Amino acid sequence: MTDPEIVEKINASLSEEFELELTSMVPEASLFDDLELDSLDLVDMVIVLEQAFGFKIREEEEIRSIRTLGDIHAFVIRKKHQIRQNL
Amino acid sequence: MASRKTPGKKDLHPNMGIGSILAVLLMNLTIYPFLILWTLGTMAVFPAAFLVWKAGTRWTNERIVRFFIWIYGRGWIAILSPFVRFGRKGFEAVKPLQPVILVVNHSSFFDTYCMALLPFHNVAFAIRSWPFRMYWYTPFMRLANYLNVEGLRWETASRLAREILGRGGNILFFPEGHRSRDGSLGRFYSGAFLLAMETGRPVVPMVISGTDTLLPPNRWWLKPARISLEALPPVDPKFFSGPGAHIDLKKTVKEAIHNRLMEIRSVSCKSL
Repeated sequence: MTDPEIVEKINASLSEEFELELTSMVPEASLFDDLELDSLDLVDMVIVLEQAFGFKIREEEEIRSIRTLGDIHAFVIRKKHQIRQNL
Repeated sequence: MASRKTPGKKDLHPNMGIGSILAVLLMNLTIYPFLILWTLGTMAVFPAAFLVWKAGTRWTNERIVRFFIWIYGRGWIAILSPFVRFGRKGFEAVKPLQPVILVVNHSSFFDTYCMALLPFHNVAFAIRSWPFRMYWYTPFMRLANYLNVEGLRWETASRLAREILGRGGNILFFPEGHRSRDGSLGRFYSGAFLLAMETGRPVVPMVISGTDTLLPPNRWWLKPARISLEALPPVDPKFFSGPGAHIDLKKTVKEAIHNRLMEIRSVSCKSL
């Protein structure tokens, strides 16, 4: 899966879960201010990403520092690359 | 911070006569003192009642506390009943399926008390953190093993929920997470639906209506209303599969609640 495909899959999954318009899903969008997510949504977000990409990220400290959609894109892309290298 | 509204032209219907206005005044002057007295009285009596019930029934502690919370809610309903007409329907199909996962729309502070309209008492609420800060209720919520879904990690909340279901308790979610400000059904959180997929327990969509007339958000005074709690046909999670199964389940349940709310509102509009 290429990086743009990963980004597309993230946006599609989150848009489905949180009933978001795809047009609002730009990398600089703040999860809390622009996409109006909250702490409970972050739990759902982790579960959706785990289901979409087949990895476990709920224990990752880095999750707590995520603020924008771009942060999620970068985090998942990094995670996928790590998994690929470890294979 | 939201400001409190006082009765104005928008809240009091233009066709409201002097009789209706007096009824609203009487309601507000009598109901609140009775609710406070009922709350203090039940708290004072609870320890002795708990011991008597324990000795007489041998129920688990959590079930006894849930029973007394249900009785307490019935008291609120009785106190309001001179001014509010309460109704319930659709629960015949739910009773034999217990334990179930109940999900209901949320439009008023009173919605939680109206859950005493349920025909069974063994219900643990899955709620956010703030209700646990109502310190006069906190010990009872803890004893009843209510779930703080905001304060717990999902793995922990899910494990505790599965244990409650395993002991025969039902779990109730307000999937919108907060009261609707404009009467529309808000976005649903996924907790209830993930739990249903994990446990295979049926989801019972419920529709509560009329509490937004009684006491909507941003208003402190009560208004006479007709309140109805209706159970819609239970949804079995076994019909959903794949990675996005909980989202499909959530959509199905939300659509059922939305459609029924629209029907209720269109009937209300026609009867005006």
